[in-house]
Amino acid sequence: MSHSQRRGVVITGVGVVNAAVVGASPALDAWLEQPNAGARTPAGGARPAVRLPEETLSGLIDPDERRRLARVCQLTVAAARFAVAEAGLEPTGGLGLVVGSELGDFTSTIAFAEGYLSRGPAGLSALLFPNTVMNTMAATTAIAVAARELSLTINVPGVAGELAVARAAAAVASGRVDAVLAGGVDELDPLVVEMLEALGDEGVRGEGATFLVLESETAARARGATVRGRLAGAVWRSLPARPWGVGRRIASRAIVEALARAGRDAPGWVYASASGDAPRDAWESGVRSAALGSARPPAVSLGGLVGHHAGLGALHVAAAAWTARAGLLPDGAGGEPARVSGCGLVHGLGRGGGQVALIVEAA
Amino acid sequence: MRRVLVTGLGAVSPFGAGVKALWAGLAAGVCAIRPLRLIDAEGFRCRIAAEVPEIATGSSRRSRADRLALGAAREAMEDAGLGVEERANAALIVGAVGGGMLEAERWYWARARGERAPGWAASLRSILPAAHAETLAHRMALGGPRHTVVTACSSGAVALAEAAELIADGVVDCAVAGGVDAVTRLCFMGFNALKLLDPQPCRPFDRERRGMSIGEGAAFVVLEADEHARARGAPVYAELVGHGMTTDAYHVTAPQPDGEGMARAMGAALAAAGLPAGAVGYVNAHGTATPQNDRIEARAIARVFGAGRVLVSSSKSMIGHTMAAAGSLEAVATILALTHETVPPTANLTTPDPEVDFDCVPRVAREVAVEHAISNSFGFGGQNVTLLFRRA
Repeated sequence: MSHSQRRGVVITGVGVVNAAVVGASPALDAWLEQPNAGARTPAGGARPAVRLPEETLSGLIDPDERRRLARVCQLTVAAARFAVAEAGLEPTGGLGLVVGSELGDFTSTIAFAEGYLSRGPAGLSALLFPNTVMNTMAATTAIAVAARELSLTINVPGVAGELAVARAAAAVASGRVDAVLAGGVDELDPLVVEMLEALGDEGVRGEGATFLVLESETAARARGATVRGRLAGAVWRSLPARPWGVGRRIASRAIVEALARAGRDAPGWVYASASGDAPRDAWESGVRSAALGSARPPAVSLGGLVGHHAGLGALHVAAAAWTARAGLLPDGAGGEPARVSGCGLVHGLGRGGGQVALIVEAA
Repeated sequence: MRRVLVTGLGAVSPFGAGVKALWAGLAAGVCAIRPLRLIDAEGFRCRIAAEVPEIATGSSRRSRADRLALGAAREAMEDAGLGVEERANAALIVGAVGGGMLEAERWYWARARGERAPGWAASLRSILPAAHAETLAHRMALGGPRHTVVTACSSGAVALAEAAELIADGVVDCAVAGGVDAVTRLCFMGFNALKLLDPQPCRPFDRERRGMSIGEGAAFVVLEADEHARARGAPVYAELVGHGMTTDAYHVTAPQPDGEGMARAMGAALAAAGLPAGAVGYVNAHGTATPQNDRIEARAIARVFGAGRVLVSSSKSMIGHTMAAAGSLEAVATILALTHETVPPTANLTTPDPEVDFDCVPRVAREVAVEHAISNSFGFGGQNVTLLFRRA
């Protein structure tokens, strides 16, 4: 299928689990009108982070699943179920799954290693070992929601959630699969927080999962699904940078290509991947400005409210669908939303140079 | 959709550096599974693995896995003759699992013993699976779309499938794709904990098989759009005519007993290629040598191709299970089988399992010209991938 034959891709389900918002579209929409910040608590590093309270998560997963699933898998399954239920997909339909994660299940990896270090070979847990592989969230979620088509786990610094959504949109647009559950997930672990700080990441860290159901527009309309937004362009590229580094080049093609695919000249507003990591945020802003030229659309990031994690990129896409419908851009500091119009750009640029541009519009 | 050609091959395997070394070992049916040297196996029932004998590429300050990846990717790009301009626009897709875990484990083990643990920052930079792609892109000046896929033991094959889709859809003209994994304590101990390792070198499809053998390595290929490769006069080894990716959604570690998900992956690859099952002459099997996998895979192959209708062999009998590298190393083995008109054998296969109704090419390679061949890769989480190649 050539570009000209690409299918329209729409969002028909949303699921969010983080410290500030839990639920499907109604919960997210209500939060976006006047967003509050998740509480920041000590997380093992020099700076506090936004952690999901345990009582919130325990209310989303039944006790049997809590025993069987690692915490990061619980986050994934809970958000995925919200999205699939909202989309009203038949469990027998062909569903793909794309999970973006920056960190995977470090907590289980450390617990597995500690078992050996404390008791030798007898201390090794056969139950923990599969969680040390980063696709454990996809594996458990595929079972939970009967996703039997392609299943991918994508790992990339800073933009794993945005990239998961873009990759899933490409799969739907090309006709390889009719529906894909896509999003991102990460959890906080003290060693991870310490590690990221050692690598120079200055951002506010958070945890949680956001997943979207993406479908071909034709199929979604045919089955009478509620369409919450359209992904009119999805492009991912890379900019030169050292591993975990911030680059200097600001000229890029991703934003312009995404706009061209959507048939748009400029976005009316932007969700940007700002996370408080000052050097990276400045680079992202420079890249965006260079691509948009004289256009200066208002931009927001929800990263300061929920903390940076791989779910944030997908949360921005879901929020962009709301903004396109409501004509309101939330305030990243929790104030009143601003009135906006036109299509939106969701832009992610991570340390190392991974870049994703998604154009979201009302459908 | 554009046609996708294989124009460069690179490998670092337990037979050493280079595609020539890999093919020489595979074609001769040599088993490279030997006593472990990289990590302490004291107290474990299994103490063998297929380790890469020496790594010539890259600074020793880099992680072992990064050095494996650099060696294989560099060979593939030089083989394809990729210039600066092609590299600047080429996609890079890496299948990975362990990242630089071997080095991170050293650091963590030392810290747990209360010892001074140097190398903290270097270990952290390399610990995540994405580290290889970051390193390769930076070192090789690969400037196109880049991502890392983690689908457990099928990661390397998924990387090729992902790259093929980017080319077929017109996103890029050229891509470097492959997988890498080094032996790590975590992996070795984990498969020990699952009791899936044979204390003796693994024996895929043998009635007496007792489990798998761990291996390590890296393999990368250069994939190009047909017109792009022809225009620059690139060597062409094969065409990647189809692939299938499916999920069992059944169990986190065990494959679906009837092999339905595996069969769907093979069927999807045939459908994408527009080929009947009878066109395929050889299956490079996932063939881990666990009692369960081999039986179920054979059942799935029979379901798609018919019992006894194709030659089947397992490269893991010689290079072990190289984890995230397996799918790409075995894809290279499959391509070489087509180009050399020789099907590599299943080493250590002396007593064929009567439940495996195929000629599994025991111990000695078979000279046979095959037009189409598939490479199967399956991973934890029921992640099934089939790559289907046509001889150039």
